Amino acid sequence: MSTTHAETVDGALPHEPEKATLEGRNKVLSFWLFLGGEAVLFGTLFATFLALRNQTNEGPTANELFSFTTTALATLILLVSSLTSVFAVQAMHRHNVAKLRVWLIVTVILGLGFLGLEIYEFSEYVIAEKFGMTTSAFSSAFYTLVGFHGAHVAFGVLWISVLIGQLFKKGLTVVTAPKVYVSAMYWHFIDVVWVFIFTVVYLLGKVG
Amino acid sequence: MAHAHSVKRHKGLMDWLTTVDHKKIAILYLLAGGLFFGIGGIEAVLIRLQLIKPMNDFVSAQTFNELITMHGTTMIFLGVMPVIFALMNAVIPLQIGARDVAFPFLNSLGFWTFLFGGLLLNLSWIMGGAPDAGWTSYTPLSTTTYSTTHGVDFYTVGLQIAGLGTLIGGINFLATIITMRAPGMSFMRMPMFTWTSFITSAMILFAFPAITVGLVLLSFDRILGANFFEVSNGGNPVLWQHIFWIFGHPEVYILILPAFGVISEVIPTFARKRLFGYSSMVFATILIAFLGFMVWAHHMFTTGLGPVANALFSIATMLIAVPTGIKIFNWLFTMWGGQIRFTSPNLFAIGFIPTFVMGGVTGVMLASAPADFQFHDTYFVVAHFHYVIVGGLVSGLLSGLHYWWPKMFGRMLNESLGKLSFWFFIIGFHLTFFVQHFLGLMGMQRRVFTYLPNQGFDTLNMVSTVGAILMGIGILFFLINAIVTAFKPKGVADDPWEDGRTLEWAIPSPPPEYNFKQIPLVRGIDALWKEKMAGNKGMTPAEPLGPIHMPSPTILPFVMSVGIFIAGLGFMFSKEDFSNSFMSLIFNNWIVVIIGLLITFGSMLLRSLYDDHGWHIEVEELDEEGVKA
Amino acid sequence: MTSADHQATHDAVKHSQRHEGPQKHIIVFIFSIILTAIAFAAVIAGGVNTAFTVLFLLLMAIIQVLVQMGYWMHLKDRGHMMPIIFMIGGFFVAGTAIVTALYWVWW
Repeated sequence: MSTTHAETVDGALPHEPEKATLEGRNKVLSFWLFLGGEAVLFGTLFATFLALRNQTNEGPTANELFSFTTTALATLILLVSSLTSVFAVQAMHRHNVAKLRVWLIVTVILGLGFLGLEIYEFSEYVIAEKFGMTTSAFSSAFYTLVGFHGAHVAFGVLWISVLIGQLFKKGLTVVTAPKVYVSAMYWHFIDVVWVFIFTVVYLLGKVG
Repeated sequence: MAHAHSVKRHKGLMDWLTTVDHKKIAILYLLAGGLFFGIGGIEAVLIRLQLIKPMNDFVSAQTFNELITMHGTTMIFLGVMPVIFALMNAVIPLQIGARDVAFPFLNSLGFWTFLFGGLLLNLSWIMGGAPDAGWTSYTPLSTTTYSTTHGVDFYTVGLQIAGLGTLIGGINFLATIITMRAPGMSFMRMPMFTWTSFITSAMILFAFPAITVGLVLLSFDRILGANFFEVSNGGNPVLWQHIFWIFGHPEVYILILPAFGVISEVIPTFARKRLFGYSSMVFATILIAFLGFMVWAHHMFTTGLGPVANALFSIATMLIAVPTGIKIFNWLFTMWGGQIRFTSPNLFAIGFIPTFVMGGVTGVMLASAPADFQFHDTYFVVAHFHYVIVGGLVSGLLSGLHYWWPKMFGRMLNESLGKLSFWFFIIGFHLTFFVQHFLGLMGMQRRVFTYLPNQGFDTLNMVSTVGAILMGIGILFFLINAIVTAFKPKGVADDPWEDGRTLEWAIPSPPPEYNFKQIPLVRGIDALWKEKMAGNKGMTPAEPLGPIHMPSPTILPFVMSVGIFIAGLGFMFSKEDFSNSFMSLIFNNWIVVIIGLLITFGSMLLRSLYDDHGWHIEVEELDEEGVKA
Repeated sequence: MTSADHQATHDAVKHSQRHEGPQKHIIVFIFSIILTAIAFAAVIAGGVNTAFTVLFLLLMAIIQVLVQMGYWMHLKDRGHMMPIIFMIGGFFVAGTAIVTALYWVWW
């Protein structure tokens, strides 16, 4: 623990600044542990959805609701944003703070785009299709699963925005670097969950 | 090199609210656990008083339902969990030779979140009625159709918040054990208590998210009108049972594994022998954890899963007897030929073994699906799980508390009072629960508030109630012991039991806030014992004496938990019809929820924006404190 | 802890001093796009046996997730044993919940 500070005043930033301090390494490791727990969280939500996917209570079915265009667009946005956050971490490893900030800003914009699309999609379902939380067991499960993912995206957007501010104010240090790395992990994980959502919820919903 | 950061030292209450020191957080966990354990214990005594004679009207049926629900929920989530976390906090950093946990801030956050969740749950008693659908909250009994008060909302929201705290604690201990071990302490040199806590933390990580989802679904059904468990709209109550037990069964292993760890520390110490079969102990712990995730449906045999599922889950459940048996025999072989000292911690540990075996045997009986159809929901089940949880886990915790009390508080508990509390506890325990096996076999149903006379239940119930009172007296003796000890002067030796084997006994009791002046070098299992046998006075340091970096105290975890508490209350009452227009304005428009979340996320933002540079204890101060200690 | 830490840091720097370029990650991205497109196409085209389509879609998703976790989240790099163990644990428990939901909730 006594090394934490010695390394910040060392001058030159190491190649992987997120792993320079014990604190940073602890953060990255624990975030992996947290993601293990998140896998169970989303797994249970998927399980609920799969158990209730055909319980439409005479309301709209998956096949009637979902459109390929919206799903494909949302998927593309999130996939690109995952790539831009990879570029952000690469810029961080090169100690290029300006580029790092740009890539993070692009990621946030794409995240906002995804959220906007999702809000539009949900409002279409609620208003035009009369498909709300209380319509059927299927609707409850759908909104809870996809909504939990959407809430994760929203939190990620807020989180990365705060980090962008910190990068402007404090620059890249062994304190800010682990935060950037961990937020990128979080963002990739959101994308990974979305891969399962578009497959299991939307595409399999179309298959029937 | 060392920065001279000034640190604000708090005194009194503020010190406890802002502390990030694992040793103080351990004491907070112990106090909170003691409080909830007391509440749960009083509920237990009230249940037994109601059942002392047939057709008793001591409490009403509704109150009885609330009592059994709150007794189970409080004991499992709010009583024994924090005492386990108290021991883990007090002992693990010391056993692995670390100065603190990996995340002192999160440690504090985990505690306060847990505490406010527990308080919220218990507020139900004075806010319109406690939950009444059993600690398992099976749907449809727990839906708004059958449970019309806010009781079950307190259950879903309170447990959600407390569970969040537990999850944070679990992740923190995993990281601590993975990265903070002293040089030389490989995984296979870790003390058994640290090992079992590690596995328990991993199980917390994988089990708690499942109940998080379950509670979300139930609260959405109750508050937002969702249909997860609403059969008329396509929901399915069996889904709740699955989700609950996918969490619930690992949860009981989460509880018992640390007790196994305590027993594995206490027995070798007081037998003056190293633990028999250390690696088989580790292996058995991991196997129990794995199987613990594979057997949840044995709670659901009577739902009609079909012969294939019932057979699979039967066999998997019976398999758990194998690693558990390995542990039992290892403890027996550790004692075999040892120089056993019957101190109070060792009495609890030795009492644990036969008691736990009895609970294990009825567990294998219950694992047989056809037999379970007869046992299900009778007092046989009640007897079984009290044998493993009270006779097993609580004995283990009492053993651990007596054992580590001098390390935590610097004062030895009174041995005579300790032995007295052991005898009252163990005799009372067996009187209470042994007879319940027979009550169950005779057909007495659990969770029913009374019974008719002349069914052969009367005498056995009377015996059971008398036993419960004796057990209560045993716990009271422990409390008196703790209070009496608090007034004695501090100043026990580093190794008050004289046969300490692990690192925590190499440093002063209670340890200074930095634990180890110099991080020790570990040369084998039972690191301190190894040095003792080599004739060394203490541990060999692994680093030169230098300034020690410490994290700053902070109030933010407390504030964040208050925010979550406010948001939880707001969510629960968001659909309530208030007669007061101001109340309906702030509750029905989600304003309370938003305020709570703003407090929590605002504190998170502050934590992120202002770096905690911590502060340093300089070498000169270390020397001064060294003289004092 | 101190000296071991420093040693580890220095080793890490030596091993990965060369900066990796973006090519690898762009390839992963294109690969992900292709897998996604195939999955969408399989559903839009239809006509094939449903059970086969379901398995095929799940396979596409799992491959994509594994590749992304390996490269973008660096799970394939050295020093990721604990993360891999805990991710497998998480996916395993998630899998049991999902299998349960499919086979043991309705009968």
